[in-house]
Amino acid sequence: MENTLNVKIMVVDDEVDLEPLVRQRFRRQIRSGEYDFVFAHNGLEALSKLIENPTIGVILSDINMPEMDGLTLLLKLKELKNPSLKTVVVSAYGDMENIRMAMNRGAFDFLTKPINFEDLEITINKTLEEIILQRKALIEHDQLISIQRDLNVAREIQQGILPQTFPPFPNRFDFEIFASMEAAKEVGGDFYDFFMIDNDHLGFVIGDVSGKGIPAAIFMAVSRTLIKATGLKGMPPGECLGYVNNLLCNESISCMFVTVFYAIINLKTGKLSYANAGHNPPYILRQNETIETIPSTGDTILGVFEDQQFETASIQIQPTDSVLLFTDGVTEAFNNQSEAYGESRLEPLLRQLGNKNATEVVKEIVGDVTTFVDGAPQSDDITMLCLKYNG
Amino acid sequence: METTISKSANYTVIAVAGRIDTVTAVEFERSVSQAFEDENNALIIDCSGLEYISSSGLRVFLMIQKKMMAKKGQLHICSLRPNIKEIFDISGFSGIFKLFGDLDSATKF
Repeated sequence: MENTLNVKIMVVDDEVDLEPLVRQRFRRQIRSGEYDFVFAHNGLEALSKLIENPTIGVILSDINMPEMDGLTLLLKLKELKNPSLKTVVVSAYGDMENIRMAMNRGAFDFLTKPINFEDLEITINKTLEEIILQRKALIEHDQLISIQRDLNVAREIQQGILPQTFPPFPNRFDFEIFASMEAAKEVGGDFYDFFMIDNDHLGFVIGDVSGKGIPAAIFMAVSRTLIKATGLKGMPPGECLGYVNNLLCNESISCMFVTVFYAIINLKTGKLSYANAGHNPPYILRQNETIETIPSTGDTILGVFEDQQFETASIQIQPTDSVLLFTDGVTEAFNNQSEAYGESRLEPLLRQLGNKNATEVVKEIVGDVTTFVDGAPQSDDITMLCLKYNG
Repeated sequence: METTISKSANYTVIAVAGRIDTVTAVEFERSVSQAFEDENNALIIDCSGLEYISSSGLRVFLMIQKKMMAKKGQLHICSLRPNIKEIFDISGFSGIFKLFGDLDSATKF
């Protein structure tokens, strides 16, 4: 049996002859590292050895000993509440009363004197196996906790790379912007971003990476960074996505992809230039309870097919219009009856939000979706960005 | 999610039914990989029973397409329900995959 975790065996007995006997009988196992013995001569000494040697797992203890007997030792060991510490008591043959008491105090097994060393070996091996199994489970449990802790840090980092301060441009009165991302797991695959390209042009983007969890989060961070770095150069949206697509194709393994809507608004004229890489069409909220979708360009996702062309289309935004970018986590939020929130609920709500500011638009939708799902587990990231153009 | 694989002399048909979401996408990927082991270079995915597909599911479709391209094979997709067709249209997949209205027309390679 492999004792890879170096679990030590402590023999507790007041007979001084026992130590050389044990060492002689098990010399092969000691030499191969399978067994590693520690010796103590009464309960008190056993407790102090236990503190010195935290890897002790098996305790072979006599019952009748001076200072602290085996039964009292068992009581003390029970207080430690260590499930991977197992005691085998050694008692006189026929001493059923003490054996029962020892078992009731949590002994794992018992042996009788005179010791049969073959039986002892079987008992030690059986006990060691049990302890190693438990300690491995404990190590795996600790690893899980550590992964969970890492995920929480990853969540903070991810939230940190998305703009979080609103209003982001407190000195600008020609537009307002608000956005939020609520990940289904600790980390998500959605992202949003916005940046001033020059004094008159604001770039803003939303994206949704296929899948969820850590792989999606990493791909999301790469995509968002590439789009911002490329977008800041001021090239038209279609050209920007084409450039980013080729870069992502080099990075993309196992067909991960991202859908992206990227737009640049000319804040002087209200002209919105945009490109859409397989993302659901955003809405424009106009006055008088009218809404319209920003027509799709039919272009596909980023990250899979190299040398794709992406069209730059344009649409006119009027002062007081709002543009709402969202991911399918909004329309595909499911309630406990497996119904999706859907456009049929989103659109009537949007008609009521034409007069609201950017923050209110996003918060009203989040509120309505939350009410709709009514506590059903969130299956996808819910992300929105609203730009209100004041002209 | 359930898949049924049927092979004929010239092509293999994978019929997929139910929902392909983050959880079942892994299963879908596994059953599709089996279909790749045979010699047929023509593959049809029959989506008449497909009710829902998430982005994880779309990813598997992309992988199939890439694998078929690598072995110079052909992939036909047929019988998309309107809600699935809409997802294919929005994501631009309609321009990437060869889509057919029914199984019969998809079998003509």
